[in-house]
Amino acid sequence: MAFTFPLPNTLRKARWKVKIRDKETREPPHVTIIRGTDAWRINLRTGECMDGKPDPAEVPGEIFALIKEEQAWRQLCGEWDAMYPNNPVSGDDENYE
Amino acid sequence: MAVKSVDKRKQCEMILLDRAKKRSSRFALLNPRVVSSVPELRNSLAHASSDSLWVSYASDLTEALVKNASQGVSPLGFGLFIHSLDMKSIPALSSFFRRIAFTMDGGFIPSDELVEVLDADNRPDLFIGGSVNQSTDTITFWRGDLKPLTVPFSAFEKSGTSSKPDFNHFAVIDCGQTVQLGEYEAAVDALLYEYDPDYRRRISKQRLQEEQSFGASLRRLRTQRGLRREDFEPDLSAKTIARIEQGKVKRIQKKTLSALAEHLSVDPIEIETF
Repeated sequence: MAFTFPLPNTLRKARWKVKIRDKETREPPHVTIIRGTDAWRINLRTGECMDGKPDPAEVPGEIFALIKEEQAWRQLCGEWDAMYPNNPVSGDDENYE
Repeated sequence: MAVKSVDKRKQCEMILLDRAKKRSSRFALLNPRVVSSVPELRNSLAHASSDSLWVSYASDLTEALVKNASQGVSPLGFGLFIHSLDMKSIPALSSFFRRIAFTMDGGFIPSDELVEVLDADNRPDLFIGGSVNQSTDTITFWRGDLKPLTVPFSAFEKSGTSSKPDFNHFAVIDCGQTVQLGEYEAAVDALLYEYDPDYRRRISKQRLQEEQSFGASLRRLRTQRGLRREDFEPDLSAKTIARIEQGKVKRIQKKTLSALAEHLSVDPIEIETF
């Protein structure tokens, strides 16, 4: 089951969505912010935006703040790990040296 | 998806066959010529260009289109038939239009989302609808440029705690970015990546160019220098280079950075500017 991160009404009414969708097995762990025909993928290992376009500045800072809040981030990572146990967020996190 | 592919149809004329005024008004963004009667249809046929986009919500106007277009008009452009289409009309419509998109069961996105997709630069990478075929275990999707893409049911693999896809509850949602099969929601870009080689090549190239991470900068600089990952040995193993480039290393130690910089003949702080 795809996971939809709960957003406040104001953001939902503005058509913002945050999801972890199915069939993302070939991608690094990430969460997708969706609005209309645009999408921004946020890497759950690094917290960085995975694509240069569309411009991440188009995403309200409030959304980044909400998903990067410690408990929310942990929840997102947990949801990813449950959906993709073969590609967990923590799987490749260790320093190599 | 983040990657944009520009469809050259952007400036072309749109002809909307529809009698529902409220719905027609949603298409205002695309400046359509709204056709709600047979005389208007005949007039549009007489003046339509060969790259116009026809969108029909009215089956009787589509029937009239078939009758009138068969009386010798210049080739039409693209035809999108949102209403359920009589199978017998398909050969005729296929002969009039350069490309048509249709479903037997009305499986298209809502009109407000359709307008957004048709107006988007990246419309070839978005789905506007599709049909599930339980006999062949396939789904045929229509992309925003009206090209079809057929994928097998097996494309929708279950993973971890994910729900099984329910092919009896199919919809395209999120403005053409997600395929919903009950509680299962597949990312459209993941389907395109797997089943469209042109998309895969384009997105791979674009992602490499756009990626802003240290790993991406390192990869760009290394390839620019004509170095293989093995060329950093014995200071750094090829596996280590691969892990850094793939963003799998969170903190890069000072001595690693120095070794990278030395092999790449740049100042350590310059690496991430590439």
